Order: sequence, then structure tokens, then C-alpha cells
Amino acid sequence: MALSRRNGRSRATLVFLVLTSMTVITLDFRGQDSGIIGDVRRVATDALAPVRDGADKVLSPVGNAFSGITDYGDLKDENARLRARIADLEGQRLRSADAEAERKALIELNGLDYLGNLPTVAARVVSAPVSNFEQTIELDRGTNHGVRTGMPVVTGAGLVGHVVEVSGRRSLVRLVSDPSSSVGVRLLPSGESGIADGEGPRRQLGVGFIATNAKVARGDLAFTSGLEGGSDLYPAGIPVGRVTSASSPPGELEQHVELRPAADLAHLRFVKVVKTKIRNGA
Amino acid sequence: MSPSLRIPPVLLVAAVLHTAVMPQFRVLDTAPDVLLLLAIAAGLVGGADRGATMGFMAGLLADCFLQTPFCLSALAYCLVGWSVGIFQARILHATWWIPMLTTGVAAAAGILLYAGLGAVVGQTQLISTRLVTVVAMVAVLDAVLSPLAIRAMRWTFDVEQRGAILLTR
Repeated sequence: MALSRRNGRSRATLVFLVLTSMTVITLDFRGQDSGIIGDVRRVATDALAPVRDGADKVLSPVGNAFSGITDYGDLKDENARLRARIADLEGQRLRSADAEAERKALIELNGLDYLGNLPTVAARVVSAPVSNFEQTIELDRGTNHGVRTGMPVVTGAGLVGHVVEVSGRRSLVRLVSDPSSSVGVRLLPSGESGIADGEGPRRQLGVGFIATNAKVARGDLAFTSGLEGGSDLYPAGIPVGRVTSASSPPGELEQHVELRPAADLAHLRFVKVVKTKIRNGA
Repeated sequence: MSPSLRIPPVLLVAAVLHTAVMPQFRVLDTAPDVLLLLAIAAGLVGGADRGATMGFMAGLLADCFLQTPFCLSALAYCLVGWSVGIFQARILHATWWIPMLTTGVAAAAGILLYAGLGAVVGQTQLISTRLVTVVAMVAVLDAVLSPLAIRAMRWTFDVEQRGAILLTR
């Protein structure tokens, strides 16, 4: 008797919680991060910020040591790759003056803006991705420092992502490697436009909508095109990455192109938030 | 101290572990899901009712730091907490490895449920080849951490190890 009463009560609790969850999910969809749900997220982020800061400062050396152990094989491979790259770069250094002039000419020819004139806010990365699914980082700058939702985030090397949520002292940045990220890109020197989609951590970006007859080759540069990419529209001219492979499988209508992101997304410590708001092109 | 007074600090500690500590210790880019583990441990120790309630609260905390629809984790975690709680009596006092195995299976089910429910409400990016890695790693890592979580839940619900079933009935 007592057992069946307990089971009945637990079922009632479950039904109540499931209905509550479904109601809130529906409200969140309709509110689109505004209103009380957006406020709850912002308050929680700000409230835990000091504790998370402290934990990050104390634990990041331990975490680095741990990832050094668990990723030892990857680090060894990366070390070998970097040594080979240094050798390549030494050879390329002499040709770099010509290549730089050519790159500038191509950017100018394709009507791309320079990011140099836009104001930026320097920020420190204070948190790695919390979720196992989302590729996001948290910055120690928020609305108090002029950061707003939608602003692009870059490093000296290129595009990192854009701000998707901001509170007083914190902002959350969705990386270009996030599976829900899409960036409109233009490949140089071909001038072909496509959309670079994120495919998860440590994976390259897949570029869609490149015609099979387009002349795209390994080593080509990709810049933001300023054209619509998914629902986001970045200013033109931000380096996104470099083509690592391009192939046209028989029967396909577009090429399979992959980009290595220009910014080292796995080891971000400091970034710049560009004070220009991306428009929502959806 | 009554269990209702112990729940908030336990949730706070779990949130800090989940958002600040565990992301530092990733294996294959995957961190243990401490808040899901809390829901499972609550179901194991406190039964279906407490599992569902703790799962809902832990999920709400997780949702504060995610971009997926608010309450999606709460829905998935409360279902997992409740389901584990249904089998509580048979699991908690079995051989030492049964609760660990149950935690691993429940954690895998919780992640699949979260991704599946997410896909239903339009978060199709959750369903990818990476899901396999995340499910496997979270299952293993949460199973390894389960003895600590079960101990924490015993303290929270003020349940003695041997009298758990009697007290929760």
C-alpha cells in the first residue's frame, strides 16, 4: 500500500516537472533569450563568475598538466608538425614580401574591408567550453565594457567566433568550430564564395556551395565575405582559415573543401571583440 | 540540518564543479557531466521522487550555462533521475560495481535523451558523429565519479547506507 502510494506520488512529481519543462522550453523559444529566461542566465553567469575565476586560476595549471598527459600522442604529433612547419616557413620567409603584396592586391581587388579601422575590446578567455556539445568560450568582458551580442571575436591570426550572450561582466562566444556556426567566406585567389560550417572540436571547417569547376587549391586563403552565412553576417575581410583539401567527387554538384581555422581555437588565452554588430541575416 | 537545507549548497558545489573544475579535465574533449551525475545519484539514493526533483534542479542549473532551449537539460535529467529511482531498491544494495555500472548506463541514456529531445525541438546540431564520443566518455567518467556522488547524496538526504530503502519509503 505504502509502496503504491509512493509510486503514485513519484509519477505525479514527474508529470508536473515534465509539463513545467515543456512549458518553459516553449516560452524560451517564443522569448528568444529576452525577458526573464535571458535574465536568469545572465544573473547565474555573473553570480558564479568570481568562484569560477578563482577555480580557473587555481586549476588551470593542473588542467594543463592533465591535458598534457591525456593528449600526449597528439602533442607529440603536433610538435613534429610544428617543426616541419618552421622549416617550411624559413623557406617561405624570403618569398613573403611578394606574397603579402599579392594578398593585399587580391583583397583590394575583391572589395574586402580591412578590420584595422574598427574599434576593439581586448578580453581574456576565462572559461573553456562548459558543454560537451557546444564550442563556446567565456570572456572576462561584458556590457560594462561595451561588448554586445553579435559582435565578432578575433585574434591576431583571424576569426574566432561571435558573442552570443552577454552579461555585465561576462560574454559567451560561439566559436566558428561550433556545429551550429556558419560563416560566409570568400576564397582567394579564386574569389569563390561559400559557407564555412563548424564541425566540432579539433575538426576542420567544411565549406559548402563551392562549384565543382571552381579553381580551389590547398593553401588558398579564406576571408569572411560579408555575405550571408547561415544566420550570421560578419564584416568582410576577416581571415577565417586556409584550405587544407579540395576535391570534386564524381556526381557531386559541389566540391568538398576543408579549412583549417586561422586562429588556434584550442589554445585561446586573449582575444579581441570587434565593436561592430553583425546583422542577423536569417 | 534537514535535507532541504542541504540541497542548495550541494547544488552550488556541483554547479562550480560542472562549470569551472571538470572542464579542465577533459578526455577526448569531453568532461564528466557532474549535474547529470547528481541526478542519477539522487535517484539511486533517494528514489524516483527525489531523483526527478534533484534532476530537474540540476538540469535547470546546467541550462543557465548552455545555448540550447532553457529547461531542455532539466527535462532530460529529471526523466533520468526518476528512471534510476524506479530501480533504486535493486541497485543500491547490490554488489559494489552495480551502482557504478548503472550510473554509466544512466549517464549514456541521459546524454542520448538530451540530444534526442534537443533534436525534436530543433537543435539538430546535437546529433552528429561526436555524440558517440560524448556518450561513451560521459558514461565512463560519470561511472568513475559515482561513489563520490552517491556519498554526497547520502549526506544530502540524510540517509544511512544500510537503511536507505526503509527511510525513503
